[in-house]
Amino acid sequence: MLKIFQRLWQVNWAEQWQYRANLLMYLLYWLVSPIIYLAVWTSIANAKGNVSGFTANDFVTYYMTLLIVDQITSNIVIHTFGYKIQDGTLSGELIRPIHPMLTNALVNNIAFKALTIMGLLPVWAILFFLFKPDFSHVALSGILIALPAMILGFFIGYLLSATITALAFWTTRSFSIHEFYFALILLFSGQFVPLTLMPKLVQDIAQYLPFQLLIYYPIQVILGKLSTAQIIQGYVMAGIWLVIAIALFNWVWRNGVKRFSAVGA
Amino acid sequence: MHTLKLLSAFFKVNVQMSLAYRADTIVNILLNIMWLGWELLSLNIIFNNTTTLGGWGLGELVSLLGVFRLVQMLMVALIWPNTEKFNQSIRDGSMDYTILQPANSMFLVTFSRITVWRIWDLILAIVLITVGINMSGEIVTPLHTLTFILLAISGTIVIYSLWIVLIALTFWFTKFDNNVTILQALLDAGRYPATVYPVWLRVIVTFVIPVAVATTVPLQALRGDLNIQQITIFFAVAVFSFLIATRVWKSGLKRYSGASS
Repeated sequence: MLKIFQRLWQVNWAEQWQYRANLLMYLLYWLVSPIIYLAVWTSIANAKGNVSGFTANDFVTYYMTLLIVDQITSNIVIHTFGYKIQDGTLSGELIRPIHPMLTNALVNNIAFKALTIMGLLPVWAILFFLFKPDFSHVALSGILIALPAMILGFFIGYLLSATITALAFWTTRSFSIHEFYFALILLFSGQFVPLTLMPKLVQDIAQYLPFQLLIYYPIQVILGKLSTAQIIQGYVMAGIWLVIAIALFNWVWRNGVKRFSAVGA
Repeated sequence: MHTLKLLSAFFKVNVQMSLAYRADTIVNILLNIMWLGWELLSLNIIFNNTTTLGGWGLGELVSLLGVFRLVQMLMVALIWPNTEKFNQSIRDGSMDYTILQPANSMFLVTFSRITVWRIWDLILAIVLITVGINMSGEIVTPLHTLTFILLAISGTIVIYSLWIVLIALTFWFTKFDNNVTILQALLDAGRYPATVYPVWLRVIVTFVIPVAVATTVPLQALRGDLNIQQITIFFAVAVFSFLIATRVWKSGLKRYSGASS
């Protein structure tokens, strides 16, 4: 099995490397929103001194951390897999003795991430120079505790996206559903603004949803804003959601593949 | 007249094409309303924490959202579908047929595909702009409204020209599929007044990829922030960039030699 993963990695890495110009464009595209939010919130914090206790530096460190956390926990499975169901090219992968979504597509996503993170680092350094964040309160222990949380977050997000992508077995196209899912992430993950600044109702709901585990929770851990009890609570939530996501994905995938009849067959 | 006839023909064909995917159209409109809800909620969150953003009030940001939606409509209704078709036609050589037609090739390439349902954004934009003006309670003179409309049009022309230049580059670099991604990437910066951005970002959205010229600037005219000199400069920029775009398009077209040769 390890050998299979090794081979898949070589293939997918080579494939992603071939599209490195595309990748840079994607990176640029994805970078703009957080930077705009950063600019908007720091300008408010500068004008008023602070926003509900958040200083301008708090916002800068939040979004600068978000850039890295989001790059680690997000995935592109809808773009790399959705069309395979739509145009039937999935048939070729289904006859292989390995799970297409949990091996090939997963490794493809990780190769993509590895490359985008390599591209992000120099950009991040430039932004660091431009915004001059003060990270002095970040401890190494926070980063170490956040690492497993981010990996958990990635798998939860990956399985949920994979579930939605697999809905294409019924609807052929799942881009619209994914757009709705994307809006949920924007609302409940802390991508737009630290969750504590969202309306109370949104915060209450967000607590029980998996989306904050992808962005808000790891950022708070890295920035050292959580107590030990809160950190443990986050890990428990992540564990629960991982189990739910695995069950959900398995169920949708198994029933979906049964419905799959390749285009042209 | 000829051009108008062509335009209405294109429109008819595209209505028919979209009628083949009715369910898709309805879902898209619902998603569009959802995003509007999100945009208003995010403005609400911002203004729960402050009374002005870069010197602008909530009403003015609602108007800005309206103008932003107009630019976004241009992007989704025209730029994306036509670019996709254009890139394809350069790769497989079907550009031949476009050039053979007895009409301006630049016009044919940029208007043959229209995502028709997006036109409803126009109504939405007008509503947002009017509501925003009312909310901010400013007395808007007819003159301000007129310069606003003219500057919105000239800003659109600037973006249209930039688009022409970007896709014309494909004549030089055949594999340039990402030609409009950069435009789309910076489009989001149009949601907020350029005055809140740090200087380097303001320079980019004003001069390099001039999203702000089509969003922030018309709104400034509506607020009466611009003097006659500045307004004239923006008009001149629009005319000038259109002329350059036409030039670039023509010299790019000369390089085109079909796909097989």
